Amino acid sequence: MDSAPILPSPTLACHDCDALYTAPAVAEGEKIICARCGARLFARWPNALQRATALVCASAWFFVLANIFPFLSLQAEYRESGMVLGGTVSGLEEHGFPLLGALVGVFMLGAPTLIIGGLLYVLVPLFHHRRLPGAGRLYRAILEARRWNMVEVYLLGVLVSLLKLGKLATLSLGTSFWAFVGLIVCLTAALSAIDHRELWSKMEGASR
Amino acid sequence: MTASKTAFDPASAAARGLAHCHFCAQVQPVAHAHCARCHAALHLRKPHSLQRTLALTLGAMLLYLPANLLPVLNVESSVKGNQQNTILSGVIQFWQDGDYPVALIIFTASIVIPIAKIISILILCRAAQTGRRPSAMTRLHRITDFVGRWSMVDVFVVAILVGVVQLGTVMTVTPGGGAFAFAAVVILTMLAAHSFDPRLIWDAAARRLNTASHRNRPDGAA
Repeated sequence: MDSAPILPSPTLACHDCDALYTAPAVAEGEKIICARCGARLFARWPNALQRATALVCASAWFFVLANIFPFLSLQAEYRESGMVLGGTVSGLEEHGFPLLGALVGVFMLGAPTLIIGGLLYVLVPLFHHRRLPGAGRLYRAILEARRWNMVEVYLLGVLVSLLKLGKLATLSLGTSFWAFVGLIVCLTAALSAIDHRELWSKMEGASR
Repeated sequence: MTASKTAFDPASAAARGLAHCHFCAQVQPVAHAHCARCHAALHLRKPHSLQRTLALTLGAMLLYLPANLLPVLNVESSVKGNQQNTILSGVIQFWQDGDYPVALIIFTASIVIPIAKIISILILCRAAQTGRRPSAMTRLHRITDFVGRWSMVDVFVVAILVGVVQLGTVMTVTPGGGAFAFAAVVILTMLAAHSFDPRLIWDAAARRLNTASHRNRPDGAA
């Protein structure tokens, strides 16, 4: 995929204060900030889509690893209990809170699954100048899912739990924990690398 | 532009009938109803923004009581006996154990941020009518929108402890109703911040400037 020049759409409006601008030509590495309210309108990174796709592939790999290996284990008084990542959800379900379990599942498993899977579906075909059916609608769903993706908040929760239990029992981190850290780094970087304007213009140009 | 009494800020895209697509940022006439590029519905402003925001905030305020009064976590231990933790008692326990950083994290995420969010959403709704300090208010909205998700940390702590601490009679942790109410508070405040349209503040600011300049002219001619 060559970085073909992106034609600026003739007008640009700030999403926060609705100030109207004629869109300037933007070089790679530059970002556009609203002169009136300071909102970041968009940024263009060099090779944005290649970088985003590579990071999404890495995220997918980390996500699989995070789901198959043990996440945490706990030893106290010669007893041991372990947990896989999904145990966060099933624990709540078993103790009479199925709805809360489902919500937690959406925030830490469902939303990242939709984002990673959806981005692979949307981005990879673009390298062959193709657009798969439903890609536009799926990308809109990904944008909505971003606010409900709370993997980094979950990591803070793990750290607090470790400190809370540290005095009562011995806790050990499993392979899955480190894969989960890798997932957070790659997914956050992938989402910030995507240039929405470039993505939409590539989607418009791609054959179905 | 027409001389009709438009409610929009004259510098805005909306004043010219142009809508900014929420998903792909394309600017186009709102008369198209759907975005030509990504087919999302087009609006000049988020529909019923203030009503929705206030209704969601009211819901969050009501649920804030059970979230703090009901236990979020029950600990059954053969050594320490049964213990019920609310959000605040959890913070106090961390503080008494000398874990000041953790106490501060939980205090900030679970108590300061939800209250600050509810207050700032109410301030924003007021600003959407008065139009005062639009720039600072837009920044407040951006921060409110960004910070909300971090309140969910306490819910995740409960979920993790319930998942991992299952040692039979030695120690078993079960969730309490407060955790559910608290998760609902966080979700409702996130939805409220998302429903709020900061462009309403700029519309109100333009109206305010307009009436002020009318008042300064002795003949009152527009």
